[in-house]
Amino acid sequence: MRKLFLLLLSIVTICNVWAQSKEVSGKVTDASSGAPLEGVAVTPKGSKTGGALTLSDGSFKLSVPSATKILTFTYIGYASIDLPVGSTPMTVKLTADDKSLSEVVVVGYGTKIKKEVTSSVARVTSKEFANLPLPSFEQALQGRAAGVFINSGSGKLGQGLNIRVRGISSISANQQPFVVIDGVPVVSQALGTATEPDNPLASINPDDIESIEVLKDAAAAAIYGSRASNGVLLVTTKSGKQGKTKVSAGVFGGWSDPTRKAEFLNAAQYRELFGAAADNVGLDAESEFIDNTGTNDWASNNDVNWADQAFQKGSIQQYNVSVTGGDAKTRFLVSGSWNDQVGIIIGNRLTRGTGRLNVEHSISKKVKIGANLSLNQTNNFRVPSDNAFSNPLQLNALPPIQPLIDPTTGLNNQNTLYYNNLIELEGSNRNLNKIYRTISNAFVEWNVAPGLTLRNQAGIDFYYLRESRFLGRRTLDGAPEGISNEDQTTSSIFTNTFTANWNKAFADKHNIDVLAGAEYQKGIVTGASVEGRAFPSDRFTRIASAAIISNGSSTETEYTFVSYFARANYKFLNRYLLGASFRVDGSSRFGKENRYGAFPALSAGWILSEENFLKNSKWLSFLKVRTSYGRTGNAEIGNFSSRTLYGANAYADLAGIVTSSIGDTKLSWESTDQFDLGIDFGFLNNRISGEIDFFTKKTKDLLLNSPLPATNGFTSITKNIGDMKNTGWEFVLNATIIQNKNFRWTSSFNISTYKNEITRLVAPVPPGQRTLGRLAVGAPYGQFFGRKYMGVDPANGDALYLGAGGVITNNYNAAIDTVLGNPNPDFYGGWNNRFSYKNFDLDIQCQFVSGGDVYNVAGFFQSVNGDYFDNQTVDQMNYWKKPGDVTDIPQPRLYEGNGAGKSSRWIQDGSYFRVKSVNLGYNLPRKLLQNIKFESVRVYVAAQNLLTFTKYKGYDPEVNTTYVGNINLGHDFYTPPQARTITIGVNVGL
Amino acid sequence: MKYKLLSLCIAAGVLSLTSCDKKLDVEPQQNIDATTAFQNDQDVNSAMVGCYSLLGTGQLYGTNLFLLADLLASNNAAGSTSVDRYLTWQGTFQGQRQVYSKTMTRDNSEASRVWIQAYRAINNANIVIANLGKVSDAGLRAQLEGEALFVRGVMHFELVRLYGLQWGATPSNTQLGVVIRTKPITNEADAAERVARATVADVYTQVINDLTSASAKLPDDNGTRADKFTALAFLSRVYLQKADYTNALNAANQVINSNKYRLNASVAAVFSNKNTAESIFEIQQNDQNNAGQTNDGMATFFASITGIGRGDARVPANFPTVYPAGDLRSTEWYYAGRSARPGTYCAKWRSFSQNLPVIRIAEMYLTRAECNVRLGSNVGATPAADLAQVRNTTRTGTTAPAVPTLADVLNERYIELAFEGVRIHDVRRLNLNVGTRPWNSNQLVMPIPAREVDATSGVVAQNPGY
Repeated sequence: MRKLFLLLLSIVTICNVWAQSKEVSGKVTDASSGAPLEGVAVTPKGSKTGGALTLSDGSFKLSVPSATKILTFTYIGYASIDLPVGSTPMTVKLTADDKSLSEVVVVGYGTKIKKEVTSSVARVTSKEFANLPLPSFEQALQGRAAGVFINSGSGKLGQGLNIRVRGISSISANQQPFVVIDGVPVVSQALGTATEPDNPLASINPDDIESIEVLKDAAAAAIYGSRASNGVLLVTTKSGKQGKTKVSAGVFGGWSDPTRKAEFLNAAQYRELFGAAADNVGLDAESEFIDNTGTNDWASNNDVNWADQAFQKGSIQQYNVSVTGGDAKTRFLVSGSWNDQVGIIIGNRLTRGTGRLNVEHSISKKVKIGANLSLNQTNNFRVPSDNAFSNPLQLNALPPIQPLIDPTTGLNNQNTLYYNNLIELEGSNRNLNKIYRTISNAFVEWNVAPGLTLRNQAGIDFYYLRESRFLGRRTLDGAPEGISNEDQTTSSIFTNTFTANWNKAFADKHNIDVLAGAEYQKGIVTGASVEGRAFPSDRFTRIASAAIISNGSSTETEYTFVSYFARANYKFLNRYLLGASFRVDGSSRFGKENRYGAFPALSAGWILSEENFLKNSKWLSFLKVRTSYGRTGNAEIGNFSSRTLYGANAYADLAGIVTSSIGDTKLSWESTDQFDLGIDFGFLNNRISGEIDFFTKKTKDLLLNSPLPATNGFTSITKNIGDMKNTGWEFVLNATIIQNKNFRWTSSFNISTYKNEITRLVAPVPPGQRTLGRLAVGAPYGQFFGRKYMGVDPANGDALYLGAGGVITNNYNAAIDTVLGNPNPDFYGGWNNRFSYKNFDLDIQCQFVSGGDVYNVAGFFQSVNGDYFDNQTVDQMNYWKKPGDVTDIPQPRLYEGNGAGKSSRWIQDGSYFRVKSVNLGYNLPRKLLQNIKFESVRVYVAAQNLLTFTKYKGYDPEVNTTYVGNINLGHDFYTPPQARTITIGVNVGL
Repeated sequence: MKYKLLSLCIAAGVLSLTSCDKKLDVEPQQNIDATTAFQNDQDVNSAMVGCYSLLGTGQLYGTNLFLLADLLASNNAAGSTSVDRYLTWQGTFQGQRQVYSKTMTRDNSEASRVWIQAYRAINNANIVIANLGKVSDAGLRAQLEGEALFVRGVMHFELVRLYGLQWGATPSNTQLGVVIRTKPITNEADAAERVARATVADVYTQVINDLTSASAKLPDDNGTRADKFTALAFLSRVYLQKADYTNALNAANQVINSNKYRLNASVAAVFSNKNTAESIFEIQQNDQNNAGQTNDGMATFFASITGIGRGDARVPANFPTVYPAGDLRSTEWYYAGRSARPGTYCAKWRSFSQNLPVIRIAEMYLTRAECNVRLGSNVGATPAADLAQVRNTTRTGTTAPAVPTLADVLNERYIELAFEGVRIHDVRRLNLNVGTRPWNSNQLVMPIPAREVDATSGVVAQNPGY
């Protein structure tokens, strides 16, 4: 955006030579260091035309209308100043302004000075996440962007994350924000065939990103119309700058291990617990064990920690290089990177190679063209779904008395209680996602007349995913002769955007900025798959060698959007701000009777600190109140949900058709009306600054499956029938706590809340057979609902539950369903501290979530006082043994289900505080650098997820198993923990 | 020049955005719209094939109509070596486990899956009937009508057996059966209709009407699809279930007398080969299209062979001893589990792609024998001769009793049709017990899915005990 700003200026400078003008020249330097500043914008005050940029020696020269009295000097990261045109050459000193409100933020289809923004936008810039071992870039928002709640879900590499901007705005349509990279909408949703979502965003190189803006309120997001209800992530990649060609290169490497592990019984404990469990029901543990496993391992002296087998020492290495530079006509950036992460879960690995060319060329004073080209290749060796027997974490269910290696074969033991999935990592077995992706665009921009710019941009996100799997004959699914799958998915989203931008200042008082545009978008997803079985041996893994082609398919689906939009901003006296935007979206997804939707937004701001009564305040440097109201939509409703359709269904060799859905011809987008009230403030020359926002989001026409009597042949119809409300606030505080010659400490704290409430539903959605999350009017999304566990009867060891009328009962079926918890956080946020001392710098970023209950679905198997032969968590040893024992763990009774019913027994508080990232660096001193001819050298040690503080007893409280569906938030089911990664690295600049 | 070019570029960009309404018309590629779905013979025939494909899914004959009937018949309280245990569920799926332990809840997953899919099949059959006018070929029209009536009748029958108390539980069978649906549903308004459950008596009347009418319209031979004798064989089952021995005998006799079917020399053949002479109706499967290999499918649950099956449904180790000494069925139909789980397993279900025989000629012989014994008649053949068809030195390596009693016939039925989804229905009609639970226990009747009661605001009433 800085690029854009500068270029705009340079263009207008060159092309507008006034008849009546005078020459002004001078030099701009940094007030503290005296170093010349390059690229400072110098403009006649109140005019957007007739400016110039300073050269590398800080000098500038421009001609201005002779009437010009004051020049404005603007430079990102520095406080702007206005100076009277005096005797030339002028000497100008700019003061670094760390949290300057003159910062430019990216908004939809343009940029805006932060000071004048009347909407709510969170911004995270590259310097905040540079050099961190991020599995994918959006993780950088966690704890850094207020109002953005991120749950990584699990520690699997390349797995989709849960990103929620200002609460949850949908039930069955998408809940993730709309992602736009350099103006091109991209695929951010899973495309793979696996149960668990893959993460297309993992293929993007975080080092290519200059900034991520999160459009939170309607005023910011409504320009994206029917795609914007979940917020919008605008990603801007780095670009070249005019000046000396700069080369920077970096390398880091490191290791990772799990943040936390759960503890399971050892052999002696296992025998004790199950011995008691069998005794208590008059069975013999040994013979039951033999009956269930077909082995006599009960009598063995094995003591295996199966749970640990799921993990390995992870590692990471990354190499990246970028070259930037350019002159007045052409600016460029070329970058390349290679990243290789070996996960902490056996078999998990992600590699990413990326290349990028961003180039801009000014054909003339008025016309420029440009292109951003990127090509990424990602290999993701995936881990099976949490609920698959092949999920390595499920190894923790295996009895410690069973051997790892079968003594008779010397191979991984196959005679285990459940599948020993270590077999999946043998030999030629493979579970690889290969992704090729380009997100590219090209544009032409024409400055037709002063203040009027036309721009056309065409962009494409082309994504090719190939999932390749092979399982040999010893595996569960591959037996008896091997199975191989190849699934190819391609997704292309083509977008053509035309915009016209006009801005003008009148009478030194009025500023108007108008945008109008039109956009066409077409998305196509195609799939092709083939499955083969029966291979000559496990050394043949490709389907060409299969004896049976057991499955094959190809699919294609498409959608289109046609949109028209406009936005106008008006500024009066530099302090009264008004904004309005309007978008009309038409989509093939909407029912025939409801093809076009309109999404308006209004906003207003008042910069109080520009008023005379505050202007001269010593302590108050900035104060703005702003408010907005508007409507956004959610069009992720499926491509053909409005139709009554028949689909093919084969009967052995015969092809048939069956009813597949019943449709509502009036089906439309979901819409959200959002109100926002915000205050931006700065004290003591902006040494302390911050933002406060309050919001209410009312979503209506939620797309829900309205249940139908199944006797009519359909179970549900998709209709716009639900309402939901999110309210909350966000608070951001930035401060420069200490700043002196050698030491500087800046701190940034943010905290956010959201309270979700479902206000209309056609019918409550009850929890599933294993899950607790439900949807009910008046309740928050995903509220835990079910039977309440009341501990153990000290008299007999029976599990107790809450019954009707508050009566405590040992009869599970007599227990009543009641509210058990809430998986949504009470509040969440981050706290970032940045220290620098001489040549050292230290960045510590913490992140926290308070509230947010977690239900361990696997408790039914692993924390159930020895109900079946699954190994148990260590807390189960505190089981009830004799009358009078007071404990939470019922008497073990093999097969009898004492305390095994789904209940609050396995709910825990998922609050946590995490030292999310730490980065300690040392910059080599300038003198030394001059000797070795480097511009800069920084060596550092960094850590991700360094420390986690929580009361949660499972693996990791930041958990969200996905196989249970999106209603069941905060469910844990053999879900791997996050990785703690320590890296060391070096960056050099030439 | 440059500007002209650029103006053109921009103009083109703008033009690409105008007159876009047509761009919003996008058709699905894997589906067809209901408004244009039925145009000719082929479309209606495809819809009929679709009905069979639904019958073959795991929710219906692909798995559940067999598996649930046998899990309901197992006495989970009996010791693990007791023959009375019949079929042990040792899998992790709770839905099946509840059926096995008779602790079904109203949200039991399997109760819900069967109900939903059976009515889906019924609706698709009704849609075929509604579109018969689009069929120009009169022969095909009659055949499709017969097939659709067959599917509709059979599905109502399976539903009333699982979700209603057994025929005879009340004097005039006014206990609640299931909802009768004969109307095709293809639009939103119809799909919201709430219809209450009919009595068991009314459902049986509907079933018998449909199957009788189907048997009249269906051709004598219809390949692997339902023909006249398939309908009659089911009709015989229906009559037997309501203890109408005369009609059951008559229908079974017609099937046998068609001479289309005979028992294979090998007892394994009907399960390992496809469409053998013994089979009256079987669900067609192949490598691509089968009921499932992980979460559904008979072999998935019943088999415990390297690479095949989860070994979730186990047979008591001494179950083979219910067969006479030396009976080939005790060795051909049972084996020791390998790989997935140890224990004894039923070999009838051991391949993902095998066809699934729903009704075999053996059952017709046994039904005819039972009815003849009960009625003291010898219609078609003597009970001794019919029993000898099933048990003889060639087929089973054993011989049938010379003068079979009712108990002999019923025992033969028990051992011959074991694990083919027949047992609980026999327990009910013969007024036997499952453990301590009598044949008419509420716990042996499946719950109406909670979702159905909710979706109809209780118009579809719940069964007692849930």
